[in-house]
Amino acid sequence: MKESSEIAAEFSFEKEKAIAKSFSQRFQWEMILIGLGQAAIWLSLWPLVLSGFLDLWAGFFIACLCACFAYLPSHEAQHGNYSRGNPKLRWLDSLVGHITLITLKFPYHILRITHMKHHAYTNDPVKDPDYKNAHNTSVLKVLKNVLDGSTLQFDKYLEVFQNDKAFVNAFHQAIPIALFYKFAPLVLVIIFPFETLLLWWLPAKIGSVYTTVFFSYYPHLGTSIGRYQNTRFWSHWMPRYLNHSMQLHFIHHLHPSIGHYDEPKAIEALKPFLIARAVPGANEIPDRVTANPIMRLKI
Amino acid sequence: MLVENLLNHISCWGKFWFGLIFLGSIFNETLEKFDILSNSSYVWVLAFGSGALIGLIAKIRGAWL
Repeated sequence: MKESSEIAAEFSFEKEKAIAKSFSQRFQWEMILIGLGQAAIWLSLWPLVLSGFLDLWAGFFIACLCACFAYLPSHEAQHGNYSRGNPKLRWLDSLVGHITLITLKFPYHILRITHMKHHAYTNDPVKDPDYKNAHNTSVLKVLKNVLDGSTLQFDKYLEVFQNDKAFVNAFHQAIPIALFYKFAPLVLVIIFPFETLLLWWLPAKIGSVYTTVFFSYYPHLGTSIGRYQNTRFWSHWMPRYLNHSMQLHFIHHLHPSIGHYDEPKAIEALKPFLIARAVPGANEIPDRVTANPIMRLKI
Repeated sequence: MLVENLLNHISCWGKFWFGLIFLGSIFNETLEKFDILSNSSYVWVLAFGSGALIGLIAKIRGAWL
């Protein structure tokens, strides 16, 4: 890695930021469609399964797919990528952020504020709420921790950031929704035991495992602290559409306001800047990002 | 105050209640699928008792897995 003082003026941070900004303007309609769409499909599974129009196992499969698609639209909302700084559109961030997370049973306020801390303190063992996921020793351990719920150390981070008023307020705002997500399955399971298990509880767990493995674990595995070091390019046998293009997560950490579906174009445009900074793997970024653009990388 | 007490209770006893209610309901529904058990009037005791026990063990261990 090169220090900023060693970087040629043509690859300065200001120029990098200007290019990134050009990819941070578009309205993220695809994400809104995916977020609200998967939640609508998931909700419709209940009457369809309960009335016998759809087999419970088919419902389970669809609910799992919905749960795997649930986080990313909320993630864009967490970064304000729908409103793009327009106060009149902030409701859209909240709407999509809340609705899409119903499938995963997570309160939006908590995920938003902990994700902001993840960006601010990536890989800090004390302050990064994702640290335990990203620095696990194997996928199996990540899986165990997520299923166990032991990666959600919200109490710990409430203590770590106790002097951060916005953080504490966001937690308090989330309490009613968190309680709803605790109690709703417990009420539903008494009336509809298998439906609650296979349409909500288990898909939410599977979706959480998928999200944690591909969003937290792989992109940050073995990385350190620093703007150009805290995320990595990595390879995976899956075409990137199946793992939400998380091989490109590096560019998200550099410029979180770039819309998810604009990241491939942004990474193509920013490749010379990353090479200039000697970012590991930057040389192997293809000129044209395709289905699985960094398949060959072994980092 | 009420919410705070509720949160404290959940953080302390959440696993037990989850075991009793959630796992118990699932076990109860599963056991009722077996003809041999479905006629027994005490099958729910076994189901909810197992759920509560699993929840209690998880509470004591501090983890499900």
